[in-house]
Amino acid sequence: MTDKPRPDLNDTATAPYFEAAARHELVLPYCDRCGLVFFPPREHCPACWSRDLSWRPVSGTGTVWTFTEVHVAFYDDTWADDVPYVAAVIELDEGPRLLANIVESDTGSLAIGDRVEVTFEDRSEDLTLPMFRVVA
Amino acid sequence: MSVLDGIAIVGVAETAIGKLPGRSAISLQAEAGVAAVAAAGLAKGDIDGVFSFPGYSQAMMLHAARVAEHLGLRPELAVVTDVGGPGTHHTALLNVAAAIDAGMCTAALCTYGENGISIRRSGRGRAPGTLTGGEDFEAPYGQIAMISGYALFAQRHMHLYGTTSEQLGAVAVTSRHHASLNDNAHKREPITLADHQSSPMISSPLRRLDCSLISDAGGAFVVTSVDRARSLGVPYARVLGFGSAATHHTASQAPDLHELGGPVAAARAFDRAGLTVADVDAVYIHDACTFSVVAGVEALGLCGEGEGGPYAESGALALGSDCPVNLHGGMLSHGHAGGVFHLLDAVRQLQGSAGRRQVDGAEVVVAHGNGGVFSTFSTMVLGRDR
Repeated sequence: MTDKPRPDLNDTATAPYFEAAARHELVLPYCDRCGLVFFPPREHCPACWSRDLSWRPVSGTGTVWTFTEVHVAFYDDTWADDVPYVAAVIELDEGPRLLANIVESDTGSLAIGDRVEVTFEDRSEDLTLPMFRVVA
Repeated sequence: MSVLDGIAIVGVAETAIGKLPGRSAISLQAEAGVAAVAAAGLAKGDIDGVFSFPGYSQAMMLHAARVAEHLGLRPELAVVTDVGGPGTHHTALLNVAAAIDAGMCTAALCTYGENGISIRRSGRGRAPGTLTGGEDFEAPYGQIAMISGYALFAQRHMHLYGTTSEQLGAVAVTSRHHASLNDNAHKREPITLADHQSSPMISSPLRRLDCSLISDAGGAFVVTSVDRARSLGVPYARVLGFGSAATHHTASQAPDLHELGGPVAAARAFDRAGLTVADVDAVYIHDACTFSVVAGVEALGLCGEGEGGPYAESGALALGSDCPVNLHGGMLSHGHAGGVFHLLDAVRQLQGSAGRRQVDGAEVVVAHGNGGVFSTFSTMVLGRDR
């Protein structure tokens, strides 16, 4: 079984996101100049290009913007034990969208617009990924 | 006055398409390139520009220089474009036009193609999933295949507009019907809607028969000035208008469906051509999946926003309708090697050389579509010279 793809934890622009996830906190970059909360993290604000950024905890709640249930382990056996799995684009209540898996939920009736909340998967000793589950 | 005024595509060619074991991507591109130069009525010594794209299966640096070396050419310009989907080829045309205008080139060879099937068997290829730009925030979640990105958009279209799997199936069935009229198509056996509905789910809501093929294939075309093209005595297509748009890279950062770049690219191209969609005799839409065609007919204005599903189901895509779509069979049935074949068949329609799938008297043909996951859009309006 091939290891699942890993984010670059040494990228200074994105590392605080994964460091917070390791503490089971969801944080997003916030622009101190124009007030934009955005994702994915980068070294400048995509709206005003300011580099004056800080990290802010967010609610961790949002809605399913769209999703797909993946039935095929593409390319090799990396995801063979996971299929079928759901990859969803979540629109956070603060505005930004991100992609994650829907876990700990009955996904058979999953629909766009469903309310979800963050949960965390400790995938390895040094990597934790934010995931989402359906809110009853 | 634009550098694209007075630019012609004068020779097109494609290799066999399907499983071609042992064929490198470069050999397929070179084979198509040599054939395209001959089709243009030109000789090796007439080619003074090489424009290419390696394809994702066998990516390499400086690919156009490799094509030039492979063909024994030493041009002033050897240029790669990677805009995604049809934008890659359309933007190569723009580059050639600028080079001709600058006096740096008189006749350019543009080559495309890859060995998507055979490279995997050889173990030397790269999966596109390693190249999509979602390494940090999508791939760790298993969002690794292009088709899963398209599935996200298809799902949302179904939610917003009531589009159905059967409507997507109509796209697949029509594409296969067109491919049955094309002796060089990878898949020519007709399929039914029932075949589509019973094909296995790949990434919901997309089934296997919603997915484009993976093929070993090469395609090429030659670009020169209209003045030069006229002197060659072979049919050619003239560039009438070109438009593009780029909105995002990874699937999760896309704007909503109505804000994607397709309608913008199409409007820019039609405006520059001084034409409307009503003037168009056939269109070629980059069909990475069936849903791409639904989005494409909406973007081009063949139907309204959200109406692409019923439009496909109505039979409007088929040869014999006012504006048939993907007469070569598309990537769904003809073959998938970076999407160049749409442009090649658009040219054939204007040359009058499309055989059983020819639209009689075609005067204006459009190639349109997206790269990435609806990330970039490109629309090229081509016409018969009048």
